[in-house]
Amino acid sequence: MNETAEPTARARVLFVDDEPRVLTTMRMLFRNRYELHFSESGAKALDFLRSTPVDVIVSDQRMPGMTGIELLRAARELNPDAMRILLTGYSDLNAIIGSINEGEIFRFVNKPWSNEDLTQTVARAVTAARASADATRAGDTTPTSLGAEPGILVVDDDPRVPAQIQSILGDAIRVLSATSMDDAVSTLERERIGVVVSDTRVQDQAVIGLISTLKQHHPELVSVILTERADAGTAIDLINQGQIYRFITKPLHESQCKITVSSALRQHQRLSQAPQLLQRYEVVAAPEPAPASTTGRLMDRIRSLRSVVKRLM
Amino acid sequence: MNGRPNTVRKDGDPQMTWRKLLPPLALLLAAGAIGLLAFLAQRTQAVDNTLHLQRLHQIRVVDALDVGLNRAVTQVGVSTMVNVTNDRATTTAQLGDALNALEQGPTSLRGLSPALDQALDTFLDTVESKFELAFDFEARNILVNQRLIAGIDAVPVMADAVLAAADTATHDMVAGLLRQLRTEVNTFGVVQTPVNEDRIHALLTQLDALAPGQSEAFVGALRSLRARSADVIADKQELVGRLGNFLARPTAPQLHAVEQAYMDWHGTQVAVANQYRSWLAAYAAILLLVLAWLGLRLRRSYRDLDRANAELSHANEHLEEQVDARTHDLQAALKELQASQAQLIQSEKMASLGQMVAGVAHEINTPLGYARSNAEIVRTSLADIRSLVDAQSRALNLLTQDDASDDDIAQSVAAAQGIAESIGASELVDELDTLLGDTDHGLAQISDLVGSLKDFSRVDRSRTDLFDVNDGLEAALKICHNQLKHRIEVVKSYAQLPAIECSPSQLNQVFLNLFNNAAQAIEGEGKLYIHTAPGPRGVAIRILDTGSGMAEDVRARIFEPFFTTKPVGKGTGLGLSIVFRIIEDHGGHIDVRSTPGKGSEFAIHLPLKQARPETPPATEALAA
Repeated sequence: MNETAEPTARARVLFVDDEPRVLTTMRMLFRNRYELHFSESGAKALDFLRSTPVDVIVSDQRMPGMTGIELLRAARELNPDAMRILLTGYSDLNAIIGSINEGEIFRFVNKPWSNEDLTQTVARAVTAARASADATRAGDTTPTSLGAEPGILVVDDDPRVPAQIQSILGDAIRVLSATSMDDAVSTLERERIGVVVSDTRVQDQAVIGLISTLKQHHPELVSVILTERADAGTAIDLINQGQIYRFITKPLHESQCKITVSSALRQHQRLSQAPQLLQRYEVVAAPEPAPASTTGRLMDRIRSLRSVVKRLM
Repeated sequence: MNGRPNTVRKDGDPQMTWRKLLPPLALLLAAGAIGLLAFLAQRTQAVDNTLHLQRLHQIRVVDALDVGLNRAVTQVGVSTMVNVTNDRATTTAQLGDALNALEQGPTSLRGLSPALDQALDTFLDTVESKFELAFDFEARNILVNQRLIAGIDAVPVMADAVLAAADTATHDMVAGLLRQLRTEVNTFGVVQTPVNEDRIHALLTQLDALAPGQSEAFVGALRSLRARSADVIADKQELVGRLGNFLARPTAPQLHAVEQAYMDWHGTQVAVANQYRSWLAAYAAILLLVLAWLGLRLRRSYRDLDRANAELSHANEHLEEQVDARTHDLQAALKELQASQAQLIQSEKMASLGQMVAGVAHEINTPLGYARSNAEIVRTSLADIRSLVDAQSRALNLLTQDDASDDDIAQSVAAAQGIAESIGASELVDELDTLLGDTDHGLAQISDLVGSLKDFSRVDRSRTDLFDVNDGLEAALKICHNQLKHRIEVVKSYAQLPAIECSPSQLNQVFLNLFNNAAQAIEGEGKLYIHTAPGPRGVAIRILDTGSGMAEDVRARIFEPFFTTKPVGKGTGLGLSIVFRIIEDHGGHIDVRSTPGKGSEFAIHLPLKQARPETPPATEALAA
């Protein structure tokens, strides 16, 4: 799909599924486009990855021996540049949270899939993989501080949460709080923010739209979801539309929170310095809300934020 | 002493031992107390007054007999009469008996005290010597006495001879002297202790004084008279001497000493007895005190008992109300419990339903995914094929048209060929064929799954039905196929079974729960064995797994509601209790055997017919 991809070296895509008919379908669907490889189990896939780096891995979740998440986690160690896509027939919440936090996957694709969506997703993944591979080749620049440290915006109904996070992180890091979407957008307009820590719903409004729009227009912003109302569907939407960086559940554990937020800050710095990487965190556009609604107006404001963020950077 | 209430102890065991030991201990103490009492009483009775008096009497008897013996011996001395001698013998015999009584028998004094023994020995020695003396005396007495009597009898004869020989001048004087002498000698012989020996000698001397001038006969007769008188005196003196010697034996003072020694001993005994008596008194006083204390305690216990009784009767009066109140509370609690149990059962059902749906969703979504994708691919490929078909029909048309130029035809055929080559027409058709085959397969799989779901739930059948258990097992296996596949080998051994009357959907739930359980018990790979067999009045089903098994304490509780070994939030602990309820409601039974590390076996027996055709309302909620 991506015309900029070098035609000489075709992107390498690995499909992993225990159902051979799925692999047949994939072969038919993607032949002529990429260099295709197939494995019928996680173990075989890992064996293959040890000898051959790939650009994209598409794996089924439910397989005997090794689940898709286990495979993608191991593949991330072996082949960090490869984009990871999980194909799943049913949604187990813990598995999804695990894949977000440990597998850092690019997309969830639900079975049954639409060929168009799947080909598009794979194509995006290929583009992102190529771009980041170039960035890696260019040399891994260690992140350097860019003047004022970016702050952390905590969006939560409960005003105690930001204070708690501030006390966990210490005074070195600026923690700003917002108890509504309006607040959040205003803060984003005013301050330089690197990481957004948010619940899934604020004031009974789903934050998925906010996060998705933020990610579309300000891909260097890193979002972390902190919630006690975890459900599989929301988590899948958040990864697909918001490319959330981490998903953690309440109650807050001090060490987990610390590690997650500092890791998110580092991720923000990496993204700010290497815009090629941004494609890795590209999101699916959320369904457009009606422009008259409050959410729509908010989204407009977020879009206009772009210039502000650019200026600040 | 022993009446103390045992102090409250924290641990139960010593308390129990103490309680058990208490009765024999009390008995022992009571026996000891009575024994001591008896001992003391016996000690105070040590001085037997009757015995004492008998002993004293015995001593008196001995004394009297001793005196009697003395008298008898004395009488023997003055009389030669046989009966007197008999008296002495009798007295001696009596004295001997009395002495024996002192020596042995109930009134014996022997062995009471060393002093008494010594006094008694001395006395007995003396009495013995006295007996010997008496015997000697008696033996000698007859002889000497006869000689004495002969002498006394001879003296007057001699005196007459003297008088006859006397001259007339002195005749009267001699006669007077001789008369006096005769009297004196007689007196000497008869009196017990004669004192007139000097008088006899004086008279004889006076007679001698008259001798000069007297005839030879006179002198001779006088000499004889003197000799006779001397004989009488000698004999009498021997007798008196012997008797004196006998009587001089100190039996009386010695007997007195014996009595004194006995009295001393008796005094000591009395003193000891008195000592014991005072101890007895003290002991009795202590016992009385203990008794009083026990009485006091008893009284207090009674008072406590009375109070407790009063409280009890008071409580009894209010019991009814309390029972009513409690019953009310309990009923409320029961209702709540039932409600929450129903809720839990429902949530368990929903949880297992959710699990089932998730599994089935995956099972369906995979074939659905590729079937749908394949259909799309076929459709997009159809566009290529259509363009090929168009090109080919165009070429065909040109071929059939007479006015078509060769160039056109060649061009159109080349175009069609180009398209065919570019799309790889023949392979494409093969591939599409494969894809459609796969699609068919996927759709068949889906329809199979939907069919088994229908079989499993049996929503389209009546609740109670005649049912082949093997079918139920198969339906449940299909539903949890997702959990078992690739990991667990299912070994089936089905026998031809009679159809049983049951609620098939409930039995399916039982089988599904047991299979899920087995799948969870098996970590990694394992085997699941399913046996069915017809029984005499029903069917037997055995489900064995090679899973982790369970310990005996877990096994014993496995069918209890809410018992679970899974972490909190992972299981309601109702699955197997529901299994148990369903089997029980069907009039069957289920047993479980398990070896930790080896696996578990569930054995189910189900009857052919139901005792009650209606399903009990309690399991209504369980119907799948």
